[in-house]
Amino acid sequence: MISVENVSKIYGKKQSVFQALDDVSFTIPDGASVAIVGKSGSGKSTLMHVISGLDRATSGKVVIDGVDISKLKQKVIDKFRSEQIGFIFQAFFVQANESAYENVALPLEIYGMSLNKRKKMVQSALKVVGLDDKEKQKAKNLSGGQKQRLAIARAIVNSPSIIFADEPTGNLDTVTGATIEKLLFDLNKKAGSTLIIVTHDQELANKCDIKIFIKDGKIEKIIGGKK
Amino acid sequence: MKLIDLIRRAARSLKHAKARTILTSLAIAVGAFTLTIALAAGEGAKQYTETLLSTNVDPQVLAITKDKSFFEGGQTGPQEYNPDVSVLTRSNGGSVKQLDQNDIDKIAKRSDISSVTPSYVINPKYITAIDAKKYTLQIDTYDAGVTQEVIAGSLPGLQTSIKDDQIALPEAYVSLFGFKDAESSIGETVSIRLERTPTISQDQIEQLLAGSDTSSISQLTEVQKKDYEFEIVAIVGRSATSLAASSNVQINNNASKEMSDFSTEGTDSYQKYTIATASVKEGIDPAEVKKELVDEGYGVQTAKDLQGLLFTIVDTLQGIVIGFGVLALITSVFGIINTQYISVLERTREIGLMKALGMRGKHVSRLFQLEAAWIGFIGGVLGAVIAVILGLSLNPWITDTLSLGEGNNLLIFQVIPIAVLVLVLMVIAMLAGYFPARKAAKLDPIEALRTE
Repeated sequence: MISVENVSKIYGKKQSVFQALDDVSFTIPDGASVAIVGKSGSGKSTLMHVISGLDRATSGKVVIDGVDISKLKQKVIDKFRSEQIGFIFQAFFVQANESAYENVALPLEIYGMSLNKRKKMVQSALKVVGLDDKEKQKAKNLSGGQKQRLAIARAIVNSPSIIFADEPTGNLDTVTGATIEKLLFDLNKKAGSTLIIVTHDQELANKCDIKIFIKDGKIEKIIGGKK
Repeated sequence: MKLIDLIRRAARSLKHAKARTILTSLAIAVGAFTLTIALAAGEGAKQYTETLLSTNVDPQVLAITKDKSFFEGGQTGPQEYNPDVSVLTRSNGGSVKQLDQNDIDKIAKRSDISSVTPSYVINPKYITAIDAKKYTLQIDTYDAGVTQEVIAGSLPGLQTSIKDDQIALPEAYVSLFGFKDAESSIGETVSIRLERTPTISQDQIEQLLAGSDTSSISQLTEVQKKDYEFEIVAIVGRSATSLAASSNVQINNNASKEMSDFSTEGTDSYQKYTIATASVKEGIDPAEVKKELVDEGYGVQTAKDLQGLLFTIVDTLQGIVIGFGVLALITSVFGIINTQYISVLERTREIGLMKALGMRGKHVSRLFQLEAAWIGFIGGVLGAVIAVILGLSLNPWITDTLSLGEGNNLLIFQVIPIAVLVLVLMVIAMLAGYFPARKAAKLDPIEALRTE
């Protein structure tokens, strides 16, 4: 369970302060699909960074499975991310010169997984996203949809408990976008991992169990979930 | 992240930027090339010097002088006059004291010395054979501690000298004297003419004044001539590693002494010698004998000292070449820093992604340092391999041009120094990669992954 308690994030100092998040609180049960919805500059990306441990809240707590990650040392947070979290980005961020296999293997390498285990895990992740025949292809030779599927494979390869998807369909056409969406939700249902999608796309948001609307760093409304 | 994965990832990153990697490595390769050649030349020169000394110099031999300063170039400036000590003025303006017969006898009497040979001063007029023209010559005392190339005839083994009436001639005289070939000259007789202007003693002058025989005056003042006859025992050639110039004829110690005494009789130089060589008995350390002789006031140089002197020269030359190599390396260090900075900038996204996925700053830094180490490795191996290939293919030509002699190589490549060199280059490259690597490690993943 993810519990965000009175989180604020302030950038800059003195004259040029900017409050990206202002006293944000909510909880996300395990296995839920969540949409964080807001316009650009609303603070939705900052919220994602704070929950995922990429950034630290200025004040407040982010408690994941009973641990307040905002109090952890950098080393422990890094380990937490490599074990518990998968990332999917709008711009894919696949390494163009590397093969599909190498791209998916990266989180496992960072984790320090042995070569034998790694191979099996990479191959099964590629199979899940339907790229098992592209293992040796360089990422730059894949289409946009394939690249995003590759990014998904990379995000799920270490079976994380939380997957963050930042505008996952933003760079894709409608048809491809739809297949990616379906893939993400299927994984969420089957693997039971929490899926947090950051988006401004109302349609995509509507497919999620919980929708958190954010505006000017504050929570506007929360639809779904308990209470 | 495991080291092996970092190393492989670093290698892959370099593979993706082949041109840049090769160009950066080339700078290091220049340094590696120069250093490899310097190491090889140094080793070659040392081995050559060793060959040279071991074939020419008996390790048991000592060079002894009266003057301790002799081996430092002789004393300069005025020295206190001593009527009993003969002083020789040297071409550099310095002057050195000379050994006399007492010194020679004293040294010869020592139980650890097997023989002493002073450097005799002989000024022969000419050498000739029957029915041949007269030719100039230089006379050397036969050195039983040196191996020589014998073209015809034979020389006794080491430690044994030729006989008093025997002579070894260099090849050049064979045709000059009209012998058919070297073989046919063996056993023939040659004669050496010595002349001296007499020094007249007081007794002789008184004797002359008492009498009135004018013919005896001219007899006394007449230039005295003496011919020495020798039998040719061997014709010697000049080996490539020979230090001795073979335009010189060789006669044994006794003959040299006799001729020297005749030449210098009545002069200041009579039985005075600048330098003497002594053979230390086998099994006794020449350095020990040297120490004792030095304590007695002599200047002494062992074969090892001579070797040390030559090695100093080699080391100096090698040092200069190494200096150039190091200079090239310093330049290449800036090349690596530059390249790696650009690489960090280019791969901001990749670094950001890796950090977002939980890669620690320490490991990111290590990744970039390992890339630099790979560049060092590639450059080092490239430079060393080119140096070895070039060196090995040029060695015969160098040996030929410098007439080093068959089997001698100026460039001797050894595996361990080259391996150490490559390792050192890798470390240097890693150090050069430190600053760009630190920049990469400090990169903020959020900033790096911002999409606009």
